[in-house]
Amino acid sequence: MRAAREDLFHRIEPLLTRVDKPARYLDHEWGATEEQNGPFHVCMVYPDVYEVGQPNLAIAILYDVLNRQEGVSCERAYLPWVDMADLMREEGIPLLALESSAPLASFDVVGFTLAHEMACTNVVEALDLAGIPVRSEERAEDDPFVFGGGPSVWNCEPVAPAFDAILLGDGEEAIVEMVDCVRRGRDRGDSREQVLLDLARVQGVYVPSLYEVVVDEGSTRWGYARPKEGTGAPGRVLKRTLQDLSATDPGYQRIVPYMGLIQDRLAVEVLRGCARGCRFCQAGMTYRPVRERPADQVVDACERGLERTGFDECSLSSLSTTDHSQCREMLQELDRDLAGTGVRVSIPSQRMDSFGVEMAAAVGASRKAGLTFAPEAGSQRLRDVINKNVTERDIEQAARNAFSAGWRRMKLYFMMGLPTETDEDIIKISECAERVCSIGREVLGRRAGVSVSISVAVFVPKAHTPFQWVGQLPLDEVVKRQQLLLHSTPDRAVRISYHDARTSQVEAALSKMGRRGFDLVMEAWRLGCRFDAWSDQFSYERWCEAARNVGVDLAETASESFDHSLRLPWEHTSPGVSRGFLEREWRRAARGVTTEDCTRASCVGCGVCPTLSVYNDLAGDRS
Amino acid sequence: MTDDGLVLWRLRVRYRKDGRLAFLGHLEVMNTIMRSVRRSGLPFSVGNGFARRMRVQFSQALPVGASSQAEYFDLMLTRRVEPALALEAVGAATPAGLAPEAVAYLPRKVPALEAWATVSRWSCDLMGEGLDAGDLERAVARMRDRGALEYRRGEKTKRVDLTETLVSIAVDEAPDGLRVDLMTRSTNEASLRPAVLFDKAMGEEPLLGARLDYARVTRLGQWHATEDGRLVEPLEMTFGEGEQGYSGSAHTEQ
Repeated sequence: MRAAREDLFHRIEPLLTRVDKPARYLDHEWGATEEQNGPFHVCMVYPDVYEVGQPNLAIAILYDVLNRQEGVSCERAYLPWVDMADLMREEGIPLLALESSAPLASFDVVGFTLAHEMACTNVVEALDLAGIPVRSEERAEDDPFVFGGGPSVWNCEPVAPAFDAILLGDGEEAIVEMVDCVRRGRDRGDSREQVLLDLARVQGVYVPSLYEVVVDEGSTRWGYARPKEGTGAPGRVLKRTLQDLSATDPGYQRIVPYMGLIQDRLAVEVLRGCARGCRFCQAGMTYRPVRERPADQVVDACERGLERTGFDECSLSSLSTTDHSQCREMLQELDRDLAGTGVRVSIPSQRMDSFGVEMAAAVGASRKAGLTFAPEAGSQRLRDVINKNVTERDIEQAARNAFSAGWRRMKLYFMMGLPTETDEDIIKISECAERVCSIGREVLGRRAGVSVSISVAVFVPKAHTPFQWVGQLPLDEVVKRQQLLLHSTPDRAVRISYHDARTSQVEAALSKMGRRGFDLVMEAWRLGCRFDAWSDQFSYERWCEAARNVGVDLAETASESFDHSLRLPWEHTSPGVSRGFLEREWRRAARGVTTEDCTRASCVGCGVCPTLSVYNDLAGDRS
Repeated sequence: MTDDGLVLWRLRVRYRKDGRLAFLGHLEVMNTIMRSVRRSGLPFSVGNGFARRMRVQFSQALPVGASSQAEYFDLMLTRRVEPALALEAVGAATPAGLAPEAVAYLPRKVPALEAWATVSRWSCDLMGEGLDAGDLERAVARMRDRGALEYRRGEKTKRVDLTETLVSIAVDEAPDGLRVDLMTRSTNEASLRPAVLFDKAMGEEPLLGARLDYARVTRLGQWHATEDGRLVEPLEMTFGEGEQGYSGSAHTEQ
């Protein structure tokens, strides 16, 4: 039943002295929309703590868009840290929205950002703490509608039962239509079922309850989702795409937090999409086409944003900022305009070539923090398999330029367990790191304290990528290769760190499962799993126990490969990239043949533009 | 003058900390104020170090959860702005819970605020059951007689000498519990947090049967104690220096 809309801050206030970081629960930040008169109320939830969720740009955009709508108010909510959540349960206080301190269960619409698979149990935790029935089918007529969206929707089946509707793709236009659907339905006194049928007609929206899961000889053991008869729901839901990024206002980030955030700065989105075509990368496939904001718009948004918020750092955000056709001009102009103000400009990721280093130097990136590059694989052969178009020469040149420009520390990201990987590829990781190290010593001298750290993650196969059919490398093999890497790297100036392989195994399982995966998520949560992305909270043992309890073998699920002839659990949702393209890319990968970036060469036939009637929109020529 | 020959102006600002923002930590307050200054458009000065930080100094940290009627920061400006205008500008850019209330220019070289203003007066409302004014005074007296109190903060044990840091305490009965008027003085070694004093006092014999649920702590003022025991208010420093202070209400709608 819908909870009453009332301010319950007085109930959490006495708890604030008893919890870590009370600033997470305060609201009243500069720039927050305090007037929340509705009458239609939406709350956007990031299912992690405030300092992780508040920098999220998607929520900033949707918050801004919805608060501009006549008659609609939008608030924010984050998941309280475990200390606060436990106290709230003890005291019988439900999850509250920040702005009004009203119960989440009193809202008309509650929208979750699905940032990654390891937030699944946090979605359940948030709904449970809010007192909103966790499964869509258990919700009463007047309960809030629960929406989901974000980067992790591309195999959303393992969390689908928790959602009334899931948006695929860009949200700034679709969210308004989705909210309208609910609002009109409520005004007319329509049934919940009718509103769900209407939501399914909004382009880009997947309504899980209108689909049944079928397992047959043409599917994997997880089956596939098929529209129930008479619902009119589409057999395949295509994502929503905003064609003209420059027609939207980039100045949506208005809230200035009190506490330190994981990304504590003004962020301006400079482009959306990436067409480099790395075959392991889900974002590279699902955010196409590439849309750039013109440089003058970016510069203006940075300068106005800094004035409005008072941040002393500004980040040019995107999947690959240094690919922007006007990257150099933007940085030069910002450097000139912001001189003497003590404002830093940052770019989130560098291209592994001399241009990348030049841009890092242009923003005065910290020499102390070191420079980070992602070759992803150690050997040229394997880099060709994954289509990471970086050559040995690029790496050497980038390293040489970086050391010459004064950096002494270099951080290199690699993956382990990529398709076709052999022991030789692992040894090449170490050789690559040592080569970079020796270039550093050559440029700066042996006593300059050059150091290279390499961080190695375990590859997780993701839906809608050319590697979606492959299984993850089993844990024991991962451990063996980690040992091999350790033993083949004698140089003490090279430091190696690993991402926890057991977390990656759970992530891989959740990336592959169908709707039955929700039983696993529920059982894991019931056993106490939450904040699984936090290494101090993650418990592999609990996940294994949960898997046993629901009759799933975690290791087998993660390492299972799918035959190309089978229908995959996520193929009823589509980012526009065609199956034919993914299969072709897989075959090219197996042969070690690379594919070009369509923003620099000709069309590679991924299918996005004709399927979604969109096109790459560049502000200039890419070099 | 700075290294690059600029003449700088030291503007001292007195501000409140109240409402929900009482729950901000010192680092959070500092960040919020620096961002407010950037929004205000005041001609703040930036240091010459690599990090290019704003030149600003703050008074002593207020515990998380404590309110205050008198916190201070010193901001170096590259040009003199009329005090009333400066107060208005920074007030209009600051969240209401940290509203600035008075400003004054100081001589450029003065002792750092944090080490200079060491005496604080606090008003504390204690809520709970079985709390008695006489019992609390007796409990604190026993602690003072013993000299020091120790408490855990994270991994560390802190030791606070009460003979040095506890200047005076007066307790009155109030409708919901007790009202305590407390004067403290911080030393180089330690400063006394009112909440810690009350927490520890609850373990003393006169209060063993009572229960403290919540202590609402407000700092009423901060002063510098001169050698002859006179208390100097931080904005008062300017008197006789030929500069004028300005006090008024600059409150924002935020």
